[in-house]
Amino acid sequence: MILQILNRTLRVAKALMTPSPANKDVRYEAMHNPSRYRGEHRVDYETCIGCDSCNKICPTHAITMKKFPFKKQNIVPEVSLSVCIFCGLCEDVCPTKPEKSIILSGGRYDMLSGGWHEDQNDFWVHTDVPQSYIDSRLEDEEATRVKKELATKKKVAEAEAKKKAEAGEEIKKVETTLPDFNKGVLE
Amino acid sequence: MENVRKIIENFTCEYVENYKKTWLKAKLSSKDDLLNLSEAIKKEGLRSLSTVSPTDFLEDNIMEMNYFFEDLDTKRNLWLKVDLPRDKEGCKIESLTPLFASANWHEREAFSMFGVQFLNHPDLREIIKSEDFKGVYPFRKDFDWDAHEKNQTQNIQQIVDAFKKEQNENEKDLDPDSSETILNWGPTHPASGPIRLRVHCDGEEVISIDPDIGYVWRALEHLVTKKDFVGAIVAVERLCFMDNINSMVGYCMAVEEIAEVEITPFASWMRVLLGEVARVSSHFMGLGGFFNNMGLHTLGMWNMDTREFFLDFLESYSGARIATASIEPGGVRYGLDMSMFDELQKALDKFDNSVGEVEAVFVKNPTMKLRSDNVGILTKEEVHEFGLSGIVARASGVKTDIRIDEPYAAYGELDLEYITQEKGSAKDRFMMLFLDLKQSVEIIKKAKAHIEKAVADAKMNPTKDHMVKVPKKLPKGEAISRVEWARGEVLMHLVTEEKAKTPYRLKMRAPSFNHTMMLNHLLKGQTLADIPLIFGSLYICQGDLDR
Ligand code: SF4
Ligand code: SF4
Repeated sequence: MILQILNRTLRVAKALMTPSPANKDVRYEAMHNPSRYRGEHRVDYETCIGCDSCNKICPTHAITMKKFPFKKQNIVPEVSLSVCIFCGLCEDVCPTKPEKSIILSGGRYDMLSGGWHEDQNDFWVHTDVPQSYIDSRLEDEEATRVKKELATKKKVAEAEAKKKAEAGEEIKKVETTLPDFNKGVLE
Repeated sequence: MENVRKIIENFTCEYVENYKKTWLKAKLSSKDDLLNLSEAIKKEGLRSLSTVSPTDFLEDNIMEMNYFFEDLDTKRNLWLKVDLPRDKEGCKIESLTPLFASANWHEREAFSMFGVQFLNHPDLREIIKSEDFKGVYPFRKDFDWDAHEKNQTQNIQQIVDAFKKEQNENEKDLDPDSSETILNWGPTHPASGPIRLRVHCDGEEVISIDPDIGYVWRALEHLVTKKDFVGAIVAVERLCFMDNINSMVGYCMAVEEIAEVEITPFASWMRVLLGEVARVSSHFMGLGGFFNNMGLHTLGMWNMDTREFFLDFLESYSGARIATASIEPGGVRYGLDMSMFDELQKALDKFDNSVGEVEAVFVKNPTMKLRSDNVGILTKEEVHEFGLSGIVARASGVKTDIRIDEPYAAYGELDLEYITQEKGSAKDRFMMLFLDLKQSVEIIKKAKAHIEKAVADAKMNPTKDHMVKVPKKLPKGEAISRVEWARGEVLMHLVTEEKAKTPYRLKMRAPSFNHTMMLNHLLKGQTLADIPLIFGSLYICQGDLDR
């Protein structure tokens, strides 16, 4: 009996001595932060091919596609984190290689921490694209357009030249045969 | 099985065929035979009706009824179908509730969601769905959800009005001279979770209980049909957050059966491992909840502490602690980094180090035994009659465990034994949970060792073997799958159309539905103080109750 009491007192004393495991302020630092952690998304607008797969698979319609003024591959995803359930399916379907263009594994865990949020906008992953990128894409597109136009022009010109050349040849042929013809007639 | 077949063949059927090892599948030509057939097979021993699942075929103008009969003793099961016309006038069938008590709520659900009228049902009220769906049937294929959503304010008003009306009418029939009253237990009672029990009581004594469920109804079975086969897992896993893995396993098995895909051994073992980790994390909460409901929160805290270690493993593996979304058709979603097993080992060590103390302080607790040994007793007979499963059934001595009865994933390779208790009291269910927890931990250890060995022998490649391709479009078909979920038997009935990209219908039969049905039965004549205790011992989760 006394032994038991002693034993239990000892146990309680021991428990008092052990440092508390709750020694991290989890508002700023996660207790456990594995590399696959599905957190806030990162979107790479440069590699994104605008295939819309992530938007289509999203089970909660958390993704909206932002549109750019240029013509091709002109959408990138933006995510509303207050709707998102962090299932990671968008990352799974993204076809770009070697890096996925939308990634949430290894994402930030502190998005909801760090005080008081007044604005729903705090919970959006906006894909901020610098104007220079848009400009350069536009320029690229313009350049390709010009190049294409030039190419078509060239093609047209070539085709015409070819036609002309062929026509010319025919004329030539005609010309070359003509004398014979004339010859015969003349003869 | 032969006997069952003979019985069925006495009636005119479109077909009778063997399905899986333990099932017989048959389709009746006429709904008029249903009652007689059911009576005959009940006599044969198929005493439990697992669930009733209508499928609405809009184009063929048919409401196909599916009944799943089970014999928990001999493991013979029958999947019986019969067609009904779809229109309101013709969509009627004899109720099986007089024969199978477990049919009661399942028929009410089919009535609420699909508008199937069950003749001679003793209590055909709508259930689960909220008041604003009164008189309309949301799971019918021609129901317009968008139009319904548009009148949101009106819908909410309807819910509020109905509640007020109920409150006003509550006391009308009560004897004004007595102390009879109708008490709302929940949905904000500390022990209730989102469920409300209308407790008709006289002073301390409970006269009857009528549960009001549906507070967390998300229409998951409908949501699934809006997603592709992979995306559907996020709806399926929301059956219950505590054990989300096994529900996904059940769904994926059904998809794989239709797609005729076989998963790799690595994936099957991972399904066992992850499933048991989820079961452990669920049982921890169940054990804690039992004591919480008696007013002692220490066990809950201790369990949470250990549970976190298991969740750490889940998080490392899948990237999320609770909603892991980690089982996909074709296998398991992620490859395994063998270093993650170190974390699992940490959790197992933590468990081994602390389980002795839990046993000494709580499982052998004399006060708990005194308090719960003689309340909430369920007999074997009642288990069969009400289609109970999981720890609730095993606590009454019924040997049922889908992992053994109908082995799936890699459970067939494990030598599992039925663990049972005898008496079926609240205490026995608590004991059952604890023993089940210990068994699960043992399974985790075995599965872990098996995977480690196979990887070391280069028989499994943990980073590549986790998935086999499942085609995006499935053929027309249907399948059922059963898993032993933390709370009992989950039966999934999946139907697909030609070139299907989404499920056409998914029925999820969830055990809490049957267990909640028992509340009135168990608590009649008991005292108010027994409600939390018995409620807690039934290990109910509102997630799968409402779906
Ligand atoms: S993680 Fe899931 S819910 Fe969130 S944006 Fe991606 S697909 Fe949508
Ligand atoms: S799936 Fe990937 S490539 Fe396609 S739109 Fe989304 S982020 Fe871009």
